[in-house]
Amino acid sequence: MSYKIDDKRGKKVPKISELIKKGQITIDDAKDWLRTIYEIRFFEEKVFELLGKNIIKGASHLYAGEEAIATGALAAMEIGDVLGSTHRGHGHCGASGNKYAESEGERQMHWNRMMAELMGKETGYCGGRGGSMHIADVQKGNLGSTGIVGGNQPTAVGAAYAEKYKGTGKAVVSFFGDGATNTGTFHESMNMASVLDVPLVAVVENNLYGMSVPFSGSPIEGTVRASNIEDVAVRAAAYNVPAMIIDGQDVVAVYLAMLEALSYAKENNKLILVEAKTYRWYGHSRSDPRAYRTKEEEKIWRERDPIIVLSEKLLSEKLATQEELDEIKADADKTINDATEFALNSPWPDPKDLAKDVYVEESYSQAQHSLDEDLSKKSLEATDAFTKALESAEGKTKKEKSENAKAKIKADYKMDVLTMGEAVVAAQSEEMAKDKDVIIMGEDVGLYGGAYGATKGLLAEFGPERVIDTPISEAAIVGSGVGAAIRGMRPITELMYIDFLTIALDQLMHNAAFNRYMFGGHAKVPMVLRSEGGVGRCIAAHHSKSLEAWLMHIPGLYVVMPSTPYDAKGLLKAAIQSDNPVVFIEHKATYGQLGAVPTQDYIIPLGKADIKREGSDVTIVTYSRMVMFALEAAKELEKQGISAEVIDLRSLKPLDIETVANSVRKTGKMITACEGFRMAGSGAEVVRQLMEYTFDDGRTGFDYLDAAPVNLAAEDVPPPMSEPLELASIPSIDSIVAAAKNIVA
Amino acid sequence: MAKEVRLPQLGQTMEEGTFVSILVEEGSQVSKGDVLFEVETDKATLEMESPEDGFIKKILVKPGETLEVGAIVAIIGEENEDVEDMIQTSSDSNGADDSSSAQAKTAESETLKVITLPQLGQTMEEGTIVNILVKEGDNIAKGDVILEVETDKATLEMESTQEGVLKKLLVKSGDTIPVDAPVAIIGKEDDVVSQDYIDSLLSGKADANSGESTTASEVQSEQAPEGVKVLELPQLGQTMEEGTIVSIIAEVGKTIAKGDVVLEVETDKATLEMESTADGVVKAILVEAGETIPVDTPVAIVAPVDVEISQAYIDSIKNSASSDTTEAKPAPVAPAKPAPVAKPAPVAAAPKATAASGNKIFASPRAKTVAKELGVNIADIKATKDPLRIKEVDVRNYASTIASPAKDESAVIEMPQPEHQLGERVALTRMQKVVAQRMVESKQNIPCFYLNSVVDMTELVAFRAKLNKTAPVKVSFNDFIIRALGIAVKQFPIMAGQIVGDDIKIADSISVGLAIAVEDGLIAPMSKDVDKKSLIEVAQYNQDLIARAKSGQISPDDLSGGCITLSNLGAFGIESFIPIVVPGQCSILGTGWIKDELVPQNGNILIRKLMKMTLSVDHKIANGAYAAQFLDYVRKLLENPASL
Ligand SMILES: Cc1ncc(C[n+]2csc(CCOP(=O)(O)OP(=O)(O)O)c2C)c(N)n1
Ligand SMILES: [Mg+2]
Repeated sequence: MSYKIDDKRGKKVPKISELIKKGQITIDDAKDWLRTIYEIRFFEEKVFELLGKNIIKGASHLYAGEEAIATGALAAMEIGDVLGSTHRGHGHCGASGNKYAESEGERQMHWNRMMAELMGKETGYCGGRGGSMHIADVQKGNLGSTGIVGGNQPTAVGAAYAEKYKGTGKAVVSFFGDGATNTGTFHESMNMASVLDVPLVAVVENNLYGMSVPFSGSPIEGTVRASNIEDVAVRAAAYNVPAMIIDGQDVVAVYLAMLEALSYAKENNKLILVEAKTYRWYGHSRSDPRAYRTKEEEKIWRERDPIIVLSEKLLSEKLATQEELDEIKADADKTINDATEFALNSPWPDPKDLAKDVYVEESYSQAQHSLDEDLSKKSLEATDAFTKALESAEGKTKKEKSENAKAKIKADYKMDVLTMGEAVVAAQSEEMAKDKDVIIMGEDVGLYGGAYGATKGLLAEFGPERVIDTPISEAAIVGSGVGAAIRGMRPITELMYIDFLTIALDQLMHNAAFNRYMFGGHAKVPMVLRSEGGVGRCIAAHHSKSLEAWLMHIPGLYVVMPSTPYDAKGLLKAAIQSDNPVVFIEHKATYGQLGAVPTQDYIIPLGKADIKREGSDVTIVTYSRMVMFALEAAKELEKQGISAEVIDLRSLKPLDIETVANSVRKTGKMITACEGFRMAGSGAEVVRQLMEYTFDDGRTGFDYLDAAPVNLAAEDVPPPMSEPLELASIPSIDSIVAAAKNIVA
Repeated sequence: MAKEVRLPQLGQTMEEGTFVSILVEEGSQVSKGDVLFEVETDKATLEMESPEDGFIKKILVKPGETLEVGAIVAIIGEENEDVEDMIQTSSDSNGADDSSSAQAKTAESETLKVITLPQLGQTMEEGTIVNILVKEGDNIAKGDVILEVETDKATLEMESTQEGVLKKLLVKSGDTIPVDAPVAIIGKEDDVVSQDYIDSLLSGKADANSGESTTASEVQSEQAPEGVKVLELPQLGQTMEEGTIVSIIAEVGKTIAKGDVVLEVETDKATLEMESTADGVVKAILVEAGETIPVDTPVAIVAPVDVEISQAYIDSIKNSASSDTTEAKPAPVAPAKPAPVAKPAPVAAAPKATAASGNKIFASPRAKTVAKELGVNIADIKATKDPLRIKEVDVRNYASTIASPAKDESAVIEMPQPEHQLGERVALTRMQKVVAQRMVESKQNIPCFYLNSVVDMTELVAFRAKLNKTAPVKVSFNDFIIRALGIAVKQFPIMAGQIVGDDIKIADSISVGLAIAVEDGLIAPMSKDVDKKSLIEVAQYNQDLIARAKSGQISPDDLSGGCITLSNLGAFGIESFIPIVVPGQCSILGTGWIKDELVPQNGNILIRKLMKMTLSVDHKIANGAYAAQFLDYVRKLLENPASL
């Protein structure tokens, strides 16, 4: 089905008794809806009160008035359907917890944990790491809620893709506000969902305002409008998907519409947009004086309170007496009061657990470390041997010579000689063959094989379900990766250039890196963001940066940058296997670089540096392509009587400062070399960690320095296009040699 | 039930609000959410809504009035409800809860201000009111003189620290009151000061004067004089959760010093001594012998001799132990008979003058590190390579120039200054006292025989060097020997025996003690389960153990359960020696240095690395032949290091 709006407002909503007669619901279901609405309401009222008493601190976006939407939607969802929430998420979490509660006790505990989370207590759903804006039980199919307006929409697309890919028959219901439909991620996500054909119900809770700005205008002087349309639903036309407009105050209407939307999404693997018109009773947050809306408007909406609407139905249809309704109300009141007691009596999180759950704890066996130490040395030897063999190889053509030299290396070392690009492809291919949850998403990664050929041949090998060409939507690519990862996949998302991170950073930082911590350690995001960076192709500052320092700044991420084909393959395989989000950045000028790669299956432990060359006079700490510069510089320095040790960090986060410090303990001198900007760059961080590194004898890296460390890095200029300028903007072999001579002198 | 309506916090930073307009009248019916007032805050004018359904019984604010968040602004109740009482208390206290006066006091003090006697001179502790210059009802400004006070030094004027109407004077001429005692209550024109409130202030004062018992909460509001320390039961072992008081050594009224034993405590592991962590006079003992108390329970109060501790305070400390509070209570003390002259606080020892080197010496951190290692004075070194700073090369060059002539001269042995002088009396450390007692016990009760053996360590030395290239920890010779002892004891379990009645009881697990010289003596903590661990694990454990021993963090756990001890004096150039068995164990092995020796073998002369071992054995438990086989097995193990 394509674009069409089904405006259900004003159409007759079937009576509850008819639904009961049809066997669609029971009378208990209907009463339970009322109780859920009451519980959400009382929860919000209690939160409002406790905010005033400063018992609850921080943000509070209250859901009072909008309860019928979450309640009706969750009623229509099946166990196992997935939910995406917002900054106004108490209702979503509240209704979802009720749905999953199998006893009164569990229901009570659910509200207990919600209230405890708002108070920042250890017993809260997220152990007090998230609070009001991030309340979610991610163990029960909740993707989590975000504080970034529009930020949760891309994850919902990826989650829906995962359900489709795994054939679970489930769908994702993604809630967001009217205001959020003006964000870029809304467009990216809706478009992506529509072209990927995923089972997604996008529910717009149109409460007419995004903070103080009316979506479609207000008679009050001084207000403007956030859009030139009345109904968000018309935006579905842009994606050629169907939409509904419903009365968000009537839980029965919401329930029936959502049933219809969900079955449409599931049966067709399609996106459908549901716009629920609603109103929030309180201001945007507690401190909002609501100057942008009239008292008359508030009064009209108040008359359509979801509690009134449902209570009247139950009474007029004689499905419940006033006493029964009072009892429901009293039960809900008690639940929330008990929850408040529970939360007040709950312990605070222990500050010693401050850093718990930032990462999934991972470690590597001694065998894995030893294997890498052994293979990395051999691979360097074999690569050198290949260079020599190539010089003396027989053959008429270059290709023939190269084939012969490769054959010799295979015979002597049991290693293939691959380009960096081939190594990256091989790593992905091997892991995809091993684990069907590994998929690739990105721009031009399919038929084209990736802008730099890093996914070449993988479409043919694994098909379009696993190698997915996406629209040009960086935020949605990375965010979808996060959503799919939360739902159990191991996506590799590709950013064509690391420069495009600027567009996707919200998804990477807030959703990928922080997710585990903010949801109390209950989620994990095993995704890889692959990209390339650096100068070397004269394509100017939008396509040439090295942004690793930004990424090192983000708790929850791993950052890996290989310098050789051996490292690229082993590190990328480890990255794919890791349960933590890893950003993996190749260097655009190295894809053709040849190197020996073992034929056996191996990984390289993340967080372990590699000494690419041993030396005694000066330590050069570097990574990515600069390793090659440093090795060349070391050869030159050797001729001049200076013995340089070259350390390839390989992983920038976690950073193996121990290897660096042990080297500096020997040499007393350190130079760092990288292509990132100098100010607050990776080199500065290495120096900082070295200073603080403490050896067994209590001495620090500082104690062993015989000269001030030197940071060679990109000049603080936008990388220029013109070749001589581009070359001048980063360290060179010569500048490394000069720095080393200077520091050793 | 009628309810008070309080001014809510309408914005994150709001502390108070000014009532701009009142939108309801007394008697009008309101529902929850109806706007009652418009309130102006620091940020905006906001609406204050009704938190309840009901009727406005009373409005307690006037337009233009500014009130703090939390102040009562109205009362809402049923239509016909009589709320007169409530109005009374509300407007009296603007904070009335049906709770105690202590709470009323805090609520009331939001509008009423109490002026207390300030400290008008550094040594002033109390003052006598000579003259009162104001009367109740007077309008007083900040800085107005209200009293004349005579102190031990002079007659001084006391100024008001508040402005407003003097509601109540709490002193009269001739009264002598301590510093901080309440003197007067200042408020607004129409404030009513309740007798309760005055009483609560005065009772605080009365307590202060009489030293009579006070309630815990009032006690807390008082300040403790300096120097009062509550000694709490420390955790004396890693697993210790509680302890039973075996005997109380400290006595009330006696002086006690840091490190003196306060009591003996029995834990699940051992009977241990609890030492005082403070100097002073024992003011109170809070526990009795036989009592079992959790860790952190207060057991005694120590204070300077002239500080008096009230019973109220002692009770509050005791109560704090029984209730589960973990926060340290402030230690209030009734300043009943204030010390006539406060003892000057002990002046912190003046920092030793740093080596007066005059000019700052610029040297790289590494140059300083190396200089320290080579024992040369950086001040003697000149920068040669880099004129700006001394670098490592300069230090090494300098060290070699001073080292070489020294070598030419006949051996002059450099020794540090001796620690002690002839004729001096050196106090035994606590640890040394324990060592002394235990060693005498050993010599008296353990009839020993001694076995000597020589082990060829050549292979082990090489093996260790290789291992340490890759091992995650540095494996020491001791680690090898300890591991060997573990394996050997398992093979010869009588070596883990102790006489119990008519039996030899063999230990349940094998722990090997490691004698470690620490700052104030000797300690031999256990390397545990060494038979079950790999060599690397033993090394890891020992590394941690030694670190803890050196930093004084050894727990009773670490000291219990040994069956044999290793004492290695090789590092001090000792060839062999006879160690003394630790009571409770069957034997001890003493090892010397590993020394190159010429060894004939098959007609050749080889240089081998040999180490002498001496095993002291309790003859009550093991006989010569048995112990000899044990020792020989240890030798074999060490000669085949791969087996460890
Ligand atoms: C990216 C971003 N911009 C702005 C904000 C501040 N903010 C939080 S909620 C909100 C309004 C959102 O409106 P809407 O999507 O309609 O949701 P509602 O609050 O009405 O439920 C704004 C502006 C934010 N958190 N994130
Ligand atoms: Mg909105």
